[in-house]
Amino acid sequence: MKSINYIILIILVTVSVYSCSDDQCNADTDALLKTELLVLDTNLTSIKYLANLSVYSPEWTDSIHYSEEGSKNILNFNLSPISDTTEIVITSLNAALNDTLFIYSRRELLFLSPECGFVTTFTIDTILNSTNYIDSLKIITKNISTEKDGSIKIYF
Amino acid sequence: MDLLKYIFSLSLVLISVSFCFGQEENLYAPKEEKVPLVLKGIKLGVNVGRFTDFQFKPERFSYEASLDFNLSNKYYGIIEAGYSEIDLKKENYNYSSEGNFYKIGMDYNMLKKQPSDYLGMGFRIGRADFTQSANNILIEDDHWPSFTTAIDSKSYNMYWLEVSFGLKGELFKNVYLGWAAMVKIRMTGGKDAAFQAYDIPGFGKGESSINLGANYYIYYQIPFNRNK
Repeated sequence: MKSINYIILIILVTVSVYSCSDDQCNADTDALLKTELLVLDTNLTSIKYLANLSVYSPEWTDSIHYSEEGSKNILNFNLSPISDTTEIVITSLNAALNDTLFIYSRRELLFLSPECGFVTTFTIDTILNSTNYIDSLKIITKNISTEKDGSIKIYF
Repeated sequence: MDLLKYIFSLSLVLISVSFCFGQEENLYAPKEEKVPLVLKGIKLGVNVGRFTDFQFKPERFSYEASLDFNLSNKYYGIIEAGYSEIDLKKENYNYSSEGNFYKIGMDYNMLKKQPSDYLGMGFRIGRADFTQSANNILIEDDHWPSFTTAIDSKSYNMYWLEVSFGLKGELFKNVYLGWAAMVKIRMTGGKDAAFQAYDIPGFGKGESSINLGANYYIYYQIPFNRNK
């Protein structure tokens, strides 16, 4: 009969451990587009185009500055969770012109966990861009989730 | 909250164990006699563990009942059914679901010398039918404007296999107290990659393929054919 008591004890301990969880969101909730900015044009490198580069959307009230949030030619930002079209303006202090990206994507609401709630994930369909300074653009990873960032390369 | 839950569980288990094993030590017979299977009683049960939801899982309201067909005190045909609804209110979303579940299976009694009691193992096949939806989903971002959205009600069903180990003992004449621990293994259905259920009726955590659980039942045995 002792063995039965041990079985019951093991089951109870297992249930207790298995059921332990806190109510905090410990998961990564960002689904970012990693943008690699490759400045090859010597005219742009001479005016420190990348060092002074910023991106913003007309719907934002602020900008993301490469000097503050970028490193190793990479700048991250979120696509629009409200619209399937994300407009991003690329500007630099010493450059006369701006470039604009129109990123067309499909959005999906994902229930990440009861603790974290919902996040938006994206699949990029296509990207159109102006060509004031941008030479070309390549989509590397079109699926953007909390587990894996999307990735594009922009050549200037 | 978890600690309280398991203190409660432990005390119920201890009550069940002491009440079932406190009377005799030698519960096993050396040899098994082959007897024809005869319906010796039907128990109606209510899972009283679910009535503690308001304390341990306040977002859930659920109930569960069972029918237990005693075949010669050795095998028990089991039918269980219940209802569960979730109303979860968080800072950044409200989630709700509701549905029914049904289980059918068999228990095997390992006790030989105490025919009115039960200690044994069993299995169940479970099915749940449920709907879930969410509203007031707040999407916030450092740069993009915040907005709220909703997900309309969606319907699902799922099947699982359940293996249980439990006890039932006669507390008063025809009134039984029972406890069972179980492992529930997802077989098919109930999955949604984008909107995984928070809690599947009868199965538990929607994100898990294996759930552990415990039931606390009070049964009333319909008194017929008992002494045959």
